[in-house]
Amino acid sequence: MKQFSTLLLKEWRENLRNFKIFWIPVVFILLGVTEPLSNYYLPQILDATGGLPDGAVIELPDPEPEQLLVAVMGQFQLIGMLVLVLAYMGSIAGERRNGTATLLYVRPLSYVSYFLSKWLMASIVALISVWAGFLAGYYYTAVLFSAVPFGEFLAFAATYSLWMVLVVTLVLFASASMQNAGLAAGFTLAALLILQLIDSLFGSRWEWSPLKLPNYAASFLDIGPDVTALIWTLAISLVCLIGLAALGIWFSKRNRAKTKV
Amino acid sequence: MLDERTILLVLPILVLQIALMIFALVDLIRNPNPNGPKWMWAAIIVLLNIIGPILYFVIGRRNY
Repeated sequence: MKQFSTLLLKEWRENLRNFKIFWIPVVFILLGVTEPLSNYYLPQILDATGGLPDGAVIELPDPEPEQLLVAVMGQFQLIGMLVLVLAYMGSIAGERRNGTATLLYVRPLSYVSYFLSKWLMASIVALISVWAGFLAGYYYTAVLFSAVPFGEFLAFAATYSLWMVLVVTLVLFASASMQNAGLAAGFTLAALLILQLIDSLFGSRWEWSPLKLPNYAASFLDIGPDVTALIWTLAISLVCLIGLAALGIWFSKRNRAKTKV
Repeated sequence: MLDERTILLVLPILVLQIALMIFALVDLIRNPNPNGPKWMWAAIIVLLNIIGPILYFVIGRRNY
């Protein structure tokens, strides 16, 4: 336990000094704010770019506030996830290369504490980012259009948070198991892309899959998800999370020999 | 078009953009070994809104 808190303190300092704890949330907030704002100013933007001929009249329906939050989630799924993957791809693989690992591995190190301290810190940054981004989006949507019921919003953001934590776990697993940071990021992005493609093509055949977490999160804003399907999905996601973390711990122990001295 | 309401709405974005830029510039100044010449990264950070600082943190920082 003492080792864990020491390692966590190291991770905290590292994230503070390389500004990750500041810049990643700022990116998410910007993503959350731009979506409602650009929808609000869409008529002026169309006007300014002068794309419409004289006399053309388009009635732009006011977007539903729920749609805007789902659109914010879409941005997180694309840019947000990319930023998180690229920011944490090197957290273990990079340490083996830049010398930090030699300082750590020569000591009697508990690899459970080692992996979990990194996982906890990365998850905290991801959660701060997701919640800050969603709250900013929620606020702007409420000011410019109308408010989504706050309870629905909380369920939506909480479900999506689990998905982000799962993504972070996958990155750390990849970082522990791969040779270098680039491979880790490539593996994570390829895995997410392919799995999401499979789920969107054949996903109607099954209801329980961690990849459906964003869909279930979005359905909280609509009619609400099917409760049994959601509970099974949450359970399977937790199992995946624990499995990936266990594999990550195992790989970070096995790959210590790949450290560059 | 630039009424008070618009300015108030867009102001937070501007503040966040500038904050992001300052984070990136401070980090660049402190960084002894960025991935490429420092003046180039300074130009990218200042000239490309939002994308520039992200590019620097992801590629230019050599944190792997």
